Amino acid sequence: MASSLENLESQLELFAENVRQIHIIVSDFQPQSQNVLNQKLQSLVHGLQEVDKLKTQVQEVHVPLEVFDYIDQGRNPQLYTKDCIEKALAKNEQVKGKIDAYRKFKANMLLELSRTFPNELNKYRALRSNIPE
Amino acid sequence: MMGDQFRKVEQFSPKSSPRGARSPVVSRQDSSGTLKTTILLGKNPSIVPSGPFYLLKEPPGESELTGATNLMAHYNLEHSYSKFSGKKLKEQLSSFLPSLPGVIDSPGQQDNSSLRSVIDKPPICGKEILPLSSVQLDGFRLHPGPLPEQYRYANQAPIKKHKNKHKKHKHKDGSLQSQEVGPVAEAGPDTHEKKHKKQKRHDDDKERKKRKKEKKRKKQKHSPEHSAGGMTPSQHGSN
Repeated sequence: MASSLENLESQLELFAENVRQIHIIVSDFQPQSQNVLNQKLQSLVHGLQEVDKLKTQVQEVHVPLEVFDYIDQGRNPQLYTKDCIEKALAKNEQVKGKIDAYRKFKANMLLELSRTFPNELNKYRALRSNIPE
Repeated sequence: MMGDQFRKVEQFSPKSSPRGARSPVVSRQDSSGTLKTTILLGKNPSIVPSGPFYLLKEPPGESELTGATNLMAHYNLEHSYSKFSGKKLKEQLSSFLPSLPGVIDSPGQQDNSSLRSVIDKPPICGKEILPLSSVQLDGFRLHPGPLPEQYRYANQAPIKKHKNKHKKHKHKDGSLQSQEVGPVAEAGPDTHEKKHKKQKRHDDDKERKKRKKEKKRKKQKHSPEHSAGGMTPSQHGSN
């Protein structure tokens, strides 16, 4: 998978370089550059063919749509990864806090109920074998 | 209170039921969250909760992986986390793609190069990509000479201008003209309309400066030594 992505990346870089060279030729065109321009255009089409061939190798790669929004805004897509990790961590901490709070509440509740309704709670403990005394 | 809670149940003969008028025992794979009750059929059908506690449900099964677990460690992402949180990531797209030419830090919507537009309006694909024929290549016969002014600086990055420097350093030297590059704002009337008033004034200033420099260039071409009493352009033209 990594090698297929590297192949695609290098192919796209070559394509972009080709387009850049065409831009240089066209920006101050001379008649003797016509043949070179034609060659570059043919290599442009060849580059598109090469990229098209690589599509089967990267079909399993899934990209989240939110990354596209970052790229469209001209932002580094690694920031998306960083934001995702930070959000996941924050949510993990939040949920852990809730779970811990509920555990403490359960322990306190059992304690108070055992003081107020000892017989009922013994029956309850008999039903729920996993509750420690 | 219990009598108020009975529902209408399907009527079937208690004689056919092996347990008499009591509901059959049905084993279910997942009984979490279900109420332990007994449905009594017969003359007075009723639903009787079984056990000493009313509305006692079976608890959900214990799960190994909960929110209380350190999920970063569980999914072996600690290295990735330290990598992204440790170093300071640059905001611009160009820092991620340094080898890509042209202006890539501007929003994609400005020059219709957004990825979102590719998703919303996917291009026509599936056709075979064929090399250009000689007839098609004839369409790429270009006129010699430089590009028109509006297309010339399209791929160069705009220089970050500071207001104070802008006032202090007014460039007279023509060689520095190539540095004063702006985005192709005057490319079309639509983009011009959308820009803010400040940006409009900024673009107008740039255009005026470019025109002034072109005039100076022309003057320099016609009369390279101004101080030597050279001819004015009109006098030169008459010769």
